[in-house]
Amino acid sequence: MATNDTQNPETDGLHHVASADELEEGERIIADVEGREVAVFNSNGDLYALSNYCPHQGGPACEGLLSGTLEVDEDEDLVWSCEDEIVACPWHGWEFDVTDGRHTASDKYRLPTYDVREIDGELYVGL
Amino acid sequence: MSSTTQQADRIRSIDDLEVIVDTDFHLTERQEDIFPYLESPFDEMLNTQGGDDYGYLGRVYPAHGMVYSVTMGKADSETVRTADDIQKGKDLIEWDKAIATPTQNLYLGAVHHDDLAAALATAYNNWLLDEVIDTDNGVYGAAIVAPQKPVEAAEEVDRRADEDGIVAVMIPSGSVDPTLGNERYYPLYEACERAGLPIKMHNAGGTMMTRFPSTWKSMNRALPVHATSHNMMHQTNLADMITQGVPERFPDLEFVIQEAGLGWYPYFMRRMDHDYMGAKWDAPMLEKLPSEYLKDQFYLTSQPVEGADDPQYLNQITRLFEGEDNLMFSSDYPHFDFDNTDELLKILRSEFSSEEIQNIYGKTAERVYDFD
Repeated sequence: MATNDTQNPETDGLHHVASADELEEGERIIADVEGREVAVFNSNGDLYALSNYCPHQGGPACEGLLSGTLEVDEDEDLVWSCEDEIVACPWHGWEFDVTDGRHTASDKYRLPTYDVREIDGELYVGL
Repeated sequence: MSSTTQQADRIRSIDDLEVIVDTDFHLTERQEDIFPYLESPFDEMLNTQGGDDYGYLGRVYPAHGMVYSVTMGKADSETVRTADDIQKGKDLIEWDKAIATPTQNLYLGAVHHDDLAAALATAYNNWLLDEVIDTDNGVYGAAIVAPQKPVEAAEEVDRRADEDGIVAVMIPSGSVDPTLGNERYYPLYEACERAGLPIKMHNAGGTMMTRFPSTWKSMNRALPVHATSHNMMHQTNLADMITQGVPERFPDLEFVIQEAGLGWYPYFMRRMDHDYMGAKWDAPMLEKLPSEYLKDQFYLTSQPVEGADDPQYLNQITRLFEGEDNLMFSSDYPHFDFDNTDELLKILRSEFSSEEIQNIYGKTAERVYDFD
């Protein structure tokens, strides 16, 4: 479904994914871009594109629950945070921050992220 | 992988494997699966129109009450109750043969009503044979028994011994009381031996606390207590301390773990990291991996060193928890099982540098205990 729009120099080298109005806040689209599964998220109004391949055991990392995580504040009280910024791989629950692809527990693992842009109401991803 | 006649090619992927057997392929049985197979009198008692709609059988099994990834929706747990479900799992795991084991009935040994537990075991096995086992498709099963009723369990084994596809007997072992060495289980063992079936033992996380405090009394000899209690108790304390963030809250504090052997420690580090990777939210205090806290703030002392007659094992185990920085020599003298001073040295010197040996034999202790 990815197509190159050669009419517009702005979109050169980018791959069309969907119309922006197809991706509401808190939603995601999984697109096949040049044979790669790329997830485009609308997380709290911002767009992020990540690989849909979990570095743990190859699960569909971006198809799981988009939610938040538990952290502690300065007083060491438990707080629910990062709502709609954390995606959990449905296979084993490994969690990644959709804003930068990092695993919540270890910097050793991260999902590759991609350039994502909205141009004239259409969503594009650059690999 | 069966024969020695195969060529010695390296295995590069599972495609190179001759056969894959999944020896712990779980079913997710529910009461509507089991109840139609109950025998009298529980058939008449429980197969009624009454009761509530919560799937009340769950109340007779203990629950661990933990919030975990599946209840939060952060990880999927597939349903495996039908042939189609099993095929889906088979396609994913790519096994050729699998031995189906239960999920809810991992807790069977902790069911409070002994007679009902035995009846549920029988009903589960009936369902297993009717709906699950399919040897043409590689689906085998383990007949479960209720350890609360060893004589009935033996009868259950006798009843299932010749059934096609029953390849094991399963004891839900996490909750047995007394522990499985007790003579009350001998009839069950005799039946399994008679049937030529191996016994599968499988714990469930939530069953541990129903029995752990009484396990000491249950083991009515000294050896099994001594061999297991040190490391079990350390693992329990350390797991809780790390999860609750004790070393994170007290970064200048160091801990010395004594007299529990070594082999469990690299295992424990990796098991904690493994679980933590899927549950960061359950240990929100942590800024690094559990194993990193263990390496930075925790130390082991050497006595008693298991496997001293196996240098390869001991060297490897010591490397695996970075013993060159985290192991301190101890003798436990004058206890009868003390280690002579050179016991460890004779082995480690073949693997560790002089500097590392110096650490293990004193330098690390000087740093930890700050003798000045």
